Amino acid sequence: MALPLPQGLVPTEVAFLCEMEMVTVVPRQRLESIPLLSGDTPVLRPPHRAQMPLWLALLLKKQRRANIVPPAWLHPASLADIIHHETNVDPQAFSPPPPPPTRADGRRRPSPATTHALPRPSCPRVRPMPPGGYLPYHWLELAEALLAHAADDVPATAEVRSLLRDLQEVRAAKMRGSTQSLEGGGGVVVLRGVGAMELAESRAFVLGVVDGVRKLGASAEATRRDEEANGGGGRYGGGAGGRGDFEDSDEEMEF
Amino acid sequence: MSYYDLDAILTDAEKVPCKFELDVPDLGYLDNNPSQGLKAQTPVSLPLWLAELLALSSRTQSSNPEDSAPFLTLEMPKALSNEVVSALKADPRAVALRDQTHNMYGLATRMLDLFEEPEMCAVLRRTFVTRAAETALHARKAGATDDVVRGEGFLSGLEEWERLLFRRAHDGNKACKEWMEGVKK
Repeated sequence: MALPLPQGLVPTEVAFLCEMEMVTVVPRQRLESIPLLSGDTPVLRPPHRAQMPLWLALLLKKQRRANIVPPAWLHPASLADIIHHETNVDPQAFSPPPPPPTRADGRRRPSPATTHALPRPSCPRVRPMPPGGYLPYHWLELAEALLAHAADDVPATAEVRSLLRDLQEVRAAKMRGSTQSLEGGGGVVVLRGVGAMELAESRAFVLGVVDGVRKLGASAEATRRDEEANGGGGRYGGGAGGRGDFEDSDEEMEF
Repeated sequence: MSYYDLDAILTDAEKVPCKFELDVPDLGYLDNNPSQGLKAQTPVSLPLWLAELLALSSRTQSSNPEDSAPFLTLEMPKALSNEVVSALKADPRAVALRDQTHNMYGLATRMLDLFEEPEMCAVLRRTFVTRAAETALHARKAGATDDVVRGEGFLSGLEEWERLLFRRAHDGNKACKEWMEGVKK
């Protein structure tokens, strides 16, 4: 409470993290591998495509040394597919996240240790960009960055832009509606497939709703636990202490 | 809930109707009648912090909770009366909670601690969740379009918890919008 910093990441921080996503580039000039503290960049030879983090790709793009190949999901047809899925196929949930990469693409299946390790700025991540029809975690930031800095590499820019706006609106509406599921008192909001920027945008709101529902249901919850403790379970201290036992036990989580 | 939480302090100061169980001398001014003592069963309004203490503490020395006799009995405040709850049950969005009391949900949680009202709890939870979605919609649209008039009625009816939600949702949207405009640089 003392620091006025918001909980979680703010949009600019999310956008910064997005720069570690891997994109494919077509180099225009030769460039030897650069040894960086966190790993070597790939060797660039003009006709061959190479995978590199977004920050390096944008840098080379600005210097006109490379063209960025837009990821498959950013194609207008793929975006239209996703919007169709969001609005018609499954109007309640968000479109599913990309499937985990399999052995079929010649890479080894990422072990949990490698996928959860901290991404390093220039090391290739194990996870490549998802195929068309699926949105990656950083979809909005990546798309915005590509449209802002490499607009000439993205086909049908205007169409992509308008489709992205549509997608954003559809998913924002779902985000607002997602808190409706708290009505029954389950205390769970399903956010499968939600992107990083959307989370940054709605985190404070969703947390506020969850917190409010919890406070409103606190007395009912205490009664329920009382009954449970007195009835048969005795899981919460045998019912000897009554409600005093767990009163405020979750209030103190908030500092 | 922090010690310095203004909303908690204001909630404490909400008046709740109650009736003394015994004659109290020298408290007649609570009933606008300073010359006489307060008679038992006279309805008076006391701030929540005082009423709660008097309703929960026992005036006899006995430690047996069975024959505890409180100083006064509490009643539901007007903001949580049957009429308001039925109106909320019918359509949560149509009720201006702020006209009832500024700290509607804060007061409700305090009263739900004292009274066992599972139905009211369910109605309030539904109200909160439904109005939260509406609040978020207005927070997204606020400032973006000119149709302020449409949402004005609803927004002026938001109580403190909902105002906080509105601010949070709006701040999130604003930060996102600012980033999106600055992405070119």
